[in-house]
Amino acid sequence: MTVRLTRKYGFAASHRLHSRALSDEENRRTYGKCNNPHGHGHNYEVEITVRGQVDRVTGRAIDLGRLDRIAEEEILKPLRYRNLNEEVPVFHEVVPTTENLAAELDRRLRSAWPEAFPDGGPVLEKLRIWETERNICEIDHA
Amino acid sequence: MVISKKVEFSASHICRSPRLSDAENERTYGAAANPLGHGHNYVVEVAIEGEPDPVTGMILDLKRLKDILEEKVLSVYDHRLLNREVEPFDRVVPTLENIAIDIWSRIDPHIRGRAKLYSVRVHETVELSVEYRGGK
Repeated sequence: MTVRLTRKYGFAASHRLHSRALSDEENRRTYGKCNNPHGHGHNYEVEITVRGQVDRVTGRAIDLGRLDRIAEEEILKPLRYRNLNEEVPVFHEVVPTTENLAAELDRRLRSAWPEAFPDGGPVLEKLRIWETERNICEIDHA
Repeated sequence: MVISKKVEFSASHICRSPRLSDAENERTYGAAANPLGHGHNYVVEVAIEGEPDPVTGMILDLKRLKDILEEKVLSVYDHRLLNREVEPFDRVVPTLENIAIDIWSRIDPHIRGRAKLYSVRVHETVELSVEYRGGK
């Protein structure tokens, strides 16, 4: 039987939305108060959805311990309590919007996935990130 | 079009397989392997797929769906120790995966007409849920 399992994690970080390709005025217009030069922070929440077969013996579709470890190593440890623009190299160049953050987290999980689940196992199907209760971005590979 | 309904039940369970050793059970299920059991407030989201009836404007009478969930799931699961009191969990480990599959099999035969069961999603905590859409 195929099921989809969803696990939610959280981390807090700061960022500033500012593009070098735009003028100061354009940055203010595009990002509003998120362009504040001093930055600001969020309690981000990340939901990871995997698709897999339920093992007949264990009744589980994924080893949750392994999923927690990959989330901790690839996402939570490197981003928790960080200034994304200053401390996470990809965001030296790329604006840390929720969209770009979702793409970066997805890329990190995907590159670590084969080593964490060498026997094939569950498929990473969807990633959702909440910047606030009202701002949510989703990458769906289904 | 998909419409979904949410209901809740509280139950206890023990995640241990008689086919695994004690050490394997601890490794596989962690704290959930406690032989004395533990409990959750489960939230069940049932999604129904179909086109609205041209006369009533409804895919399915939601009162009927509520009655099916009450009779086939909640009255069986609520305030029970799943391993001892709810079939098939005397034989199958009541993981979240197996609970979602069992709830599907209990309600699917009763959803008829233009409506079709699309998915059963069960939340064990705010951090963990499993969705089953039927089939293999």
